[in-house]
Amino acid sequence: MMPGRKILLTDRRRVPAYLALLALVLLCPARSHAYAGPGAGFAVISSFWALFVAFFYSVYAFLLWPFRQLFRLLRHRKAYAKALIKRAVILGFDGMDPELTERFIAEGRMPNLAKLRAQGTFRKLGTTYPAISPVAWSTFMTGVNPGKHNIYDFLARDLSNYLPYLSSAEIKGPKRSWKIGKYKIPLGRPMIKGMRRGIPFWHWLGEAGIFCSVLRVPVTFPPEKFSGVLLSGMCVPDLKGSQGTFCFCTTRTSDDKFREGGVQVPVERTRSAYVSYIPGPENPLGGSELRVKFEIYPGPGKNQARFTVDSETFTLRVGEYSEWIPLKFKAGVGFSAHGISRFYLKEISPEVEVYITPVNIDPGRPDLPISHPVTYSIYLEKMFGPYATLGLAEDTWALNEKVLDDEAFLAQCYANHEDRERMLFDALEKTQQGLCACVFDTTDRVQHMFWRYLDENHPAAREVPRDHRPTIIQDLYARMDELIGRVMKQIDDQTLLMIVSDHGFKSFARCVNLNAWLHQAGYLALKPGKTESGDWFDDVDWSRTRAYTMGLNGLYLNLKGREREGIVEPGVEAESLKNELRRKLDGLVDPASGRAGITGVFDCEAVYAGPYMDNAPDLIVGYGDGYRASWDSVMGKVTSQIFEDNLKAWSGDHCIDPRLVPGVLFCNHKISDENPAIVDVAPTVLKLFGLALPGYLDGKPWMVGISTNRSAGLPPAS
Amino acid sequence: MGSLGINVPSGIVLGISLVVGLVMVLVFGCTSDQKAIHKAKDRLKAHLLALRLFQDQIQVVLRSYVRIVLATGDYLRLAFKPLLFVIVPMTFLIVDVDRYLGSVPLSTGQTFLIRARIDDPDLLNQASLQLPNGLASTAPPVHEPADNRIAWRVIAEGAGDFAVNIQVGDQLFAKRVIVGSGVPRLSPVRLRGKVWERLFVSAEPSLPANKSVEAIDVQYPAREIAFAGMEWNWMWLFFVLSLAVGFVFKSILGIEI
Repeated sequence: MMPGRKILLTDRRRVPAYLALLALVLLCPARSHAYAGPGAGFAVISSFWALFVAFFYSVYAFLLWPFRQLFRLLRHRKAYAKALIKRAVILGFDGMDPELTERFIAEGRMPNLAKLRAQGTFRKLGTTYPAISPVAWSTFMTGVNPGKHNIYDFLARDLSNYLPYLSSAEIKGPKRSWKIGKYKIPLGRPMIKGMRRGIPFWHWLGEAGIFCSVLRVPVTFPPEKFSGVLLSGMCVPDLKGSQGTFCFCTTRTSDDKFREGGVQVPVERTRSAYVSYIPGPENPLGGSELRVKFEIYPGPGKNQARFTVDSETFTLRVGEYSEWIPLKFKAGVGFSAHGISRFYLKEISPEVEVYITPVNIDPGRPDLPISHPVTYSIYLEKMFGPYATLGLAEDTWALNEKVLDDEAFLAQCYANHEDRERMLFDALEKTQQGLCACVFDTTDRVQHMFWRYLDENHPAAREVPRDHRPTIIQDLYARMDELIGRVMKQIDDQTLLMIVSDHGFKSFARCVNLNAWLHQAGYLALKPGKTESGDWFDDVDWSRTRAYTMGLNGLYLNLKGREREGIVEPGVEAESLKNELRRKLDGLVDPASGRAGITGVFDCEAVYAGPYMDNAPDLIVGYGDGYRASWDSVMGKVTSQIFEDNLKAWSGDHCIDPRLVPGVLFCNHKISDENPAIVDVAPTVLKLFGLALPGYLDGKPWMVGISTNRSAGLPPAS
Repeated sequence: MGSLGINVPSGIVLGISLVVGLVMVLVFGCTSDQKAIHKAKDRLKAHLLALRLFQDQIQVVLRSYVRIVLATGDYLRLAFKPLLFVIVPMTFLIVDVDRYLGSVPLSTGQTFLIRARIDDPDLLNQASLQLPNGLASTAPPVHEPADNRIAWRVIAEGAGDFAVNIQVGDQLFAKRVIVGSGVPRLSPVRLRGKVWERLFVSAEPSLPANKSVEAIDVQYPAREIAFAGMEWNWMWLFFVLSLAVGFVFKSILGIEI
């Protein structure tokens, strides 16, 4: 080749020359180029390893399959023997409201549910007392009333100090630790104790050899062992152990603190960047909280910035979310906690403001078990990428505190929802026989936060003209209908499809501070000189207090021998006080509107039965349509006002009189029962799979018309 | 070091492996689609986990197996791009290192063959070997007419870098022969034409074109390198060490491989 010839070659001519050279290198067989360095080595070894493992597993599965089948046959010889269905698909839409659903069906927004109603069944589904998600979903899965599953609210009270704790699970440090100077080395894993009692119906199905895939059903943390796969839902904590603590990093100085749900962290300016940190869990070795630092480098145009977090670098425009970023909180050699968060750039100039989601447990490296088996969360992470694991993953507090705007909150909700959809369709594919149950939370969170645009007179949306209000809830229902339509396409006539919700929804326009009412009516006393209390009954004089409320619907007597400073004698006095309170509170009128703020007060001894009744409140307060316990009352605070407007974005609710907020039940088969309730779902599914019902169940199986030859005299679906 | 049995050849392999391992990881990181590789590997792991999670469902197991094969193909496709960037320089590097480490020089007193392949079988009778001092013929030449080849058995009487000549008629063809120790650059064969073959197996200039001798070769013994109590072909040692170095650096540099 002439020396200058190569230079004269055009780019286009160089490519074939290079390829020819490469082909020659590849094709000339010689020992010396049999190995082309680590690059090829990595590829070969990695893929060979994967194929080897796959091959090993396949052979293992093939060889053992007949034996496993034989074992299953012997052990579960009755599986499907009496089943009327091959598969049950239960889609839970938290908070889907029957009245809204009917309205949107009539408006033509929900054609798939209209079809389901026409071909099968649509009913209002009776909820639990109270109509709160953890209570209702616990009843859904166990088929028993709260007196038997022990969940009465998100919060329960500590009788020794009147302080709240999470009702569903208790997380403690390891039993033993080794103290070296100021360090405390944990010996063992954290202890997680599930507080929900009762046995989920998928346990019985698994026992009978019926495979189950259960996704994000609330109050399934910690996950229990059973024959199937399960991803825990509502009540899974974040890495800090809370139910979701967002982080708001800002250069603006303010002494304001978020009351709940978030922390504000300063952003400091250095020579070339802005620096801040994400607060994490407590250091298990002792000392302060763990932190992950990050830097922000403003980009050109003042509308974007580059972030560096550990080894991750990403660029965000203002108003944009990052993907899930892995965070490693290092406590010391061998001790670290793994989480994931998404960053949202609110502002980069003149000030810097960044919102960071609560640090979710990393599903690919879970420090706490969030699935059964543990590998299931890892499988989903590898399959679809990182996803939200926090129970209440949609950050309602951030919108309430105006850290996020409507658009950013919705984007977060639907991103989580899309992840859940992918998981559902994967579970549907993997569960051709058995149970596939998945709960979607988006319906609940979006209705909570955007009901203000649906309610014409909501105080939180008075400034938004009626003809300018977005149709967020209408769009939400249409979107869920579209999802249902896609699921309907995947099922055959031997599959039972059930759409359920745990409760409905109503406006939350007015707040009722029941503690204020109790104070003003003389049932709750404050320390001398005080007119209001702090959170969690600070300044309450328990020696003169006969009743108090905390959480969403529970009203408690300060019972002698039960509460630390109880003064109400059990028996006649307690009964008399309960009756008195019921009489006075039932129909309590809001002077501003003349409407009843409370439409029912229920004696727990009448509505519950079971071994855990001692943990129940004494009375359940059923607020009227448009009312709910005030934010202060929920947190055990006594204020001077009983009724006040709810000005927060959290503008819809269901923690009211359970008779006003039934859920929905759609089914692709006819159900003859006129008044189904959520407690009946478990026995119905067990019966459809041909299993004997445990005697302690409170629910009654529905008469379902299965359009197969095996249906036992039931009316076929039309 | 002593316990590993490090000597000059193994030290060279170790050094090359260190540099190559690091460079390859960097090149892999810069030239590959890291996100796509991460995703492909995750998919692969997911399907492997599916085999375990849904092992009672034979359909799922079968589907997962097919998906593992597809995902492996996908991963190999992604890993091929960085391979394109390195395969040519790596090949030439390996070829050149192989000239130093692939064989050992002949030792004094060792007998070996010098063979020449000639175009015209009629010329085999005219071929003769001219040896310098230090090399001596031990037997008459052997003709292999089927291969157009003639072979001489030679003994190395002393160390040195020798040029042996093969005369065919009035044409003279030289070949380098090295007797001694250490890590000299060895050329087992001298070829006429065949640019690509020469590139990979010969370290000497081409034999004259349009002349009768096509190839002259000397059979050097293969080199075995002592390392970690074992005898290694240098390429296997390079394979193991460069991979190990690569895996270490990939973790340090956070590069997905």
